[in-house]
Amino acid sequence: MRFILAAVAIITCYSVSGQENYAVSAIPKALLNRAAAVVRNSEMLIEVNSPDDVTYREKKAITILSSAGDDEAEVVLFYNKNRQIKSLKGIVYNEFGLATAKFAEKDFRDMSAVNNFSLYEDDRVKVFRPAQITYPYTVVYEYEIKARQSLFFSAWEPVSSAGVALERSSLRFVCPLTFNLRHKEINYSNRVEENREKDKKIYSWEVKEIPALRTEPFSPDAEKYMTSVKLAPESFAYRGIKGNFSNWTEFGKWMNDNLLKGRDVLPATTVRLVKDLVRDIPDPKSKAKKIYEYMQDKTRYISVQIGIGGFQPYPAADVDRLSYGDCKGLVNYTMALLKAADIESYYCIVNAGSFKKDVAPDFASINDGNHIILCLPFRNDTTWLECTDKHIPFGFLGYFTDDRLVLACTPDGGKILHTPKFSASENRQIRKATFKLSENGDLSGHIKTLFEGTQYDNHDILEGEPFKEQVKHLTEMYPMPDLDIQTLEFKKEKNIKPVTVENISFSSRSYASLSEGRMYLSLNPLNKEKRVVPDSRNRSNPVYINRGYLDEDEYIFDLPEKLKVEFNPRNTIINKPFGKYSATVTVNGGKVTYHRVMQLNEGTYPKEQYPDLVKFYQDIAEADNDRLVLKLL
Amino acid sequence: MKKLLSVILTLLTASYAGAQETPFPFGKPTHDEFELQKYAKDTTANAVVLREFGTAYISTRTDLSLVFEHHVRIKIFNEKGFNQGQVSIGLHKNDANVFEKISDVEGVTFYPDEQGLIRSSPLDPKQVFKENKNKYNDLIKFAMPNLRNGCIIEYKYTIESPFIHHFRSWEFQSDIPKMYSEYLARIPAVFNYNVSLRGPYKLTKSTGVVEKECYNGGGGFKADCSAMTYAMADVPAFVEEDYMTAPANFLSAMYFELSEYVTPYGVKHKVTQEWSSIDREMKSNEDFGSQLKKKDFFKDKLASVTANAPTPLMKAKAIYDHMHNWFRWDNIYGIYTENGIKKAYEGHTGNVADINLALTAAMLSAGIDAEAVMLSTRRNGLINKLFPVTSDFDYVISKVNIDGQSYLLDATEPLLPFGLIPIRCVNDQGRVMSLNKASYWIDLKASVKESKTYSLLLTLQEDGKITGKISFISSGYAGFNKRQAIKKSSSLDEYVEKIEERWPRMKILKSEISNIDSLDKPINEVYDIEITAFDNLNKDRIFFNPFLMDRVSENPFKLAERSYPVDWGAPSETRVLMQLNFPAKFEILSKPETVGLALPNKGGKFVMQLTQEENILNFYQLTQLDKSIYEPDEYPYLKELFNKMVLSQKADIVLKKKI
Repeated sequence: MRFILAAVAIITCYSVSGQENYAVSAIPKALLNRAAAVVRNSEMLIEVNSPDDVTYREKKAITILSSAGDDEAEVVLFYNKNRQIKSLKGIVYNEFGLATAKFAEKDFRDMSAVNNFSLYEDDRVKVFRPAQITYPYTVVYEYEIKARQSLFFSAWEPVSSAGVALERSSLRFVCPLTFNLRHKEINYSNRVEENREKDKKIYSWEVKEIPALRTEPFSPDAEKYMTSVKLAPESFAYRGIKGNFSNWTEFGKWMNDNLLKGRDVLPATTVRLVKDLVRDIPDPKSKAKKIYEYMQDKTRYISVQIGIGGFQPYPAADVDRLSYGDCKGLVNYTMALLKAADIESYYCIVNAGSFKKDVAPDFASINDGNHIILCLPFRNDTTWLECTDKHIPFGFLGYFTDDRLVLACTPDGGKILHTPKFSASENRQIRKATFKLSENGDLSGHIKTLFEGTQYDNHDILEGEPFKEQVKHLTEMYPMPDLDIQTLEFKKEKNIKPVTVENISFSSRSYASLSEGRMYLSLNPLNKEKRVVPDSRNRSNPVYINRGYLDEDEYIFDLPEKLKVEFNPRNTIINKPFGKYSATVTVNGGKVTYHRVMQLNEGTYPKEQYPDLVKFYQDIAEADNDRLVLKLL
Repeated sequence: MKKLLSVILTLLTASYAGAQETPFPFGKPTHDEFELQKYAKDTTANAVVLREFGTAYISTRTDLSLVFEHHVRIKIFNEKGFNQGQVSIGLHKNDANVFEKISDVEGVTFYPDEQGLIRSSPLDPKQVFKENKNKYNDLIKFAMPNLRNGCIIEYKYTIESPFIHHFRSWEFQSDIPKMYSEYLARIPAVFNYNVSLRGPYKLTKSTGVVEKECYNGGGGFKADCSAMTYAMADVPAFVEEDYMTAPANFLSAMYFELSEYVTPYGVKHKVTQEWSSIDREMKSNEDFGSQLKKKDFFKDKLASVTANAPTPLMKAKAIYDHMHNWFRWDNIYGIYTENGIKKAYEGHTGNVADINLALTAAMLSAGIDAEAVMLSTRRNGLINKLFPVTSDFDYVISKVNIDGQSYLLDATEPLLPFGLIPIRCVNDQGRVMSLNKASYWIDLKASVKESKTYSLLLTLQEDGKITGKISFISSGYAGFNKRQAIKKSSSLDEYVEKIEERWPRMKILKSEISNIDSLDKPINEVYDIEITAFDNLNKDRIFFNPFLMDRVSENPFKLAERSYPVDWGAPSETRVLMQLNFPAKFEILSKPETVGLALPNKGGKFVMQLTQEENILNFYQLTQLDKSIYEPDEYPYLKELFNKMVLSQKADIVLKKKI
């Protein structure tokens, strides 16, 4: 009897899915524009059965219109011991909506999913790519995943890549009446629908008919213009831990009490060592600097993420013994060392990366953030430490974590803090060079460059390398023909506002070309703008400049007597809200002075200014290629 | 039985007691090693291998297995050498029963503490991780603790492997220099290996002794061993260069290839020695030769494909067309089928062997003379032709012979024309495996040059704009690259937009692209364009750079000298032809000088020429690289050719207003 029932169930399922129309002709025409793939229907169901038993069920149908959309057909499922795949299957349909192939879990490739920056992680991934050779085709798949935790839920992002249109996508979240879900809609035009059914609460979201987006350079964070819904629990279970939080204050407290507390115990010998280290130093900040440098010298970054270790640091004693750790481990260790000298510090969660991203101030979730830094709350002198870099100066964060909101986990609870911001004029690169040109076009001279602010580490690839290696890098950085580096000095002035100083003397054979009695001298051999900003019509996003900077170059060319300036390119001066550029040439007897300033101002500008930005970069590219024409007397 | 086993075990322990002795004691660096401040022979080294010892032998404990022990001591001078302290050891596995095992992982770091005293810190066994990478590979990973500038790390491990056919090769050379590296291979006389040394350096020690009855195969079956010691002192670091093939081709290493062995029952197994035996083996192999015999499978499937193809060549082309469009390759290499050609064909997917053996069988079924060609791809390195072993090969393609002409085919790439193999296959020679003939070598070459022609017919207008037509003709790999770029775009319009984006100030008014799907023909792009070249022409002089296309603004070769050849895979040729009409009110004041440069030994040339006829400028540029491989001694010429190209392309045409 059971068998028959089962068979009926299967047939019912099959015929239900069979009723869906996956013919490509059924896609609304408006959605085909610029689309390489169209999500036909996606239904995501998250069901909380109990805090340590959550089921994810997704059924998704996606049509691939051309080979450019092939990546969208790839089914990728991450799993680990705490998140198990229960079922997984799919069907491929042809253009007319007829099933042509089936696939199941055994057809998936199974691999470890260790990030390339990590030594070890316990996550795994199953990947499947349908073998489809004619377009269009549709892949329909469904899976069930069982997660034994309710600490975090994946965010719902109905469309997450460019070139993908969407017909319909929905999310349903089902939980017991006692479970309180926090949710935040971003760029969602409707309201969440809430229903009750017996002893369950049901939340639903749905989007329909979203045309494909194009990648637009200088766009703000995708979260600013794409639809998403973030989910988080109020109370949860995770690997044997139970807890609750509904705002950052509570989250920080929970983090501190459950994952950090007691991780700061150091061996007595180390505590004594720290005390000795700072005994003769009077002020706390100098003490902190001494301890930080001790930590930098002793440790190195090695990432190992296993289970709860993804959220919880290695105990300080382990880092002390091994002299390595990941960001969590090294920050926690530094905290412990500082504590031994009675200096208070905060473990801070941040979204790291050159692209600035705040911790969402109004939505507390453990999904936010991907890195840990340390904050020293000195009165009126809050100091920040990056603990995974052996060389970064004390108190300096650089572009990896500058100017953004972070969450400090303190014994009094979480606090939202802001990391220091660098203005465009602080992110300076200043270069002065003197060149001597010979009659046959060879160039020799000296170049002195200062790097400051977020440009401080522009040329750090040179640091600590033997001269032979440095020369290799310099020939890439300064692409002059047959570049011969005679001397290089590369030094760091490590203050809170650090400066890198680079001094080079060099020669370059046949730098300027001689042809029919004329010599063509490129005026800007060192700092050409390489960025090409493509023209684009009907832009939808505003122009966003993530971070400003200022480059200033001054080159003085000493010309041989036999060469006279015949043609002098006009000066270029451009002033725009988002930046300024000038390149001026002054000829004074046998001396030619080239002066170039390029500044980009961070900010968000109306999309109507995009064509100006395109032209800005075009004009700069052109001006950077300006040549002086010299006539041989 | 149990008793017998224990007897053998005792015997083994006794007979292998000698093998347990490593030539240098673990965890006891010498005074000199502690004192070493830098490596005198290479002062740029961030770390150096002080000593390294490895040994491999066949154990007979329960089953035949190959034991490999590795012990290394490394001095780390500065933190750029810290990556030496992050260790990853690869283990192979076939399934849950056949896999390599690691044991006895041990490590220690000796480092100077804050007071300058030497301390030691052992590797924590809990911090040794096993990553189940995928179906065939595990990784053992660990990070050595307490690395400081000037520290010494030492670690060792033992791997037991069921894959006795893959006697461990030994790399004398790595990314850091080695002061001394020694390998002891203890090979029982029942195994016969071909041993070869690759790379430019000589062995400093090479000795062999016979160990009497060292091998006990069980049941009283004993054999002598030859204990071969190979060592190299002062091996420089291996530095990879751009445009080179597999580092394995150049790295100094010792390779062992099993040629035959005798089982304890006295049965002799010839693994590989002569091609005749490989031929036999491959012909009957279930996943190779047997697949080729399944031609009947294709009979009815190809009837419609070849229906309109009267000649054998047309038939072959039709089949190739059908097959390379039929399959979606799963990006896996190999000479043996994974699914078998039937299943692969039905599922539209498979590995290289699935696809190309299916292609070969399909050709055979249509009565075309077809053979499979085993080869080693560029990333896999070169084949050792003296001691052939099938495990050297990682790829198979198809060869068809029609009217005295042969064509190499690979159906994994839907965008390659008939007769052109992917660049990954262009690597010296391949072995042709025929069902009815003895195997033989064949050159693997690109059948056509990589060729690009740019034609520009332009007019400088009175308003400062340049208008006209440009066309690109691309064939060989250049055509393949174009077709790939087109395929990556969601539409032709998007592709054209991308081109437009690459050329600032240029607008494409109209575009026409032909032969996208006619793979045998060059792909042809024609664009009507408008360039906003000058704001106006109200100037006495106008400077115009004619190198609009194929401009080389930077020399790709920056190293002063090279140790390894530059290998491009295929010869190439690029032509630019431009005609520029300019307003009659201008005359030419000066123009770039004619350049003609040639590489020695007919290696290639660069020619650039500008001629004028009234108000028409004709520009011609040819860049020809006639070899696919340039040896290190040819490198300076090649570099200089590019230098000259960069330089000559800086010169402008100067137009002067007539008075």
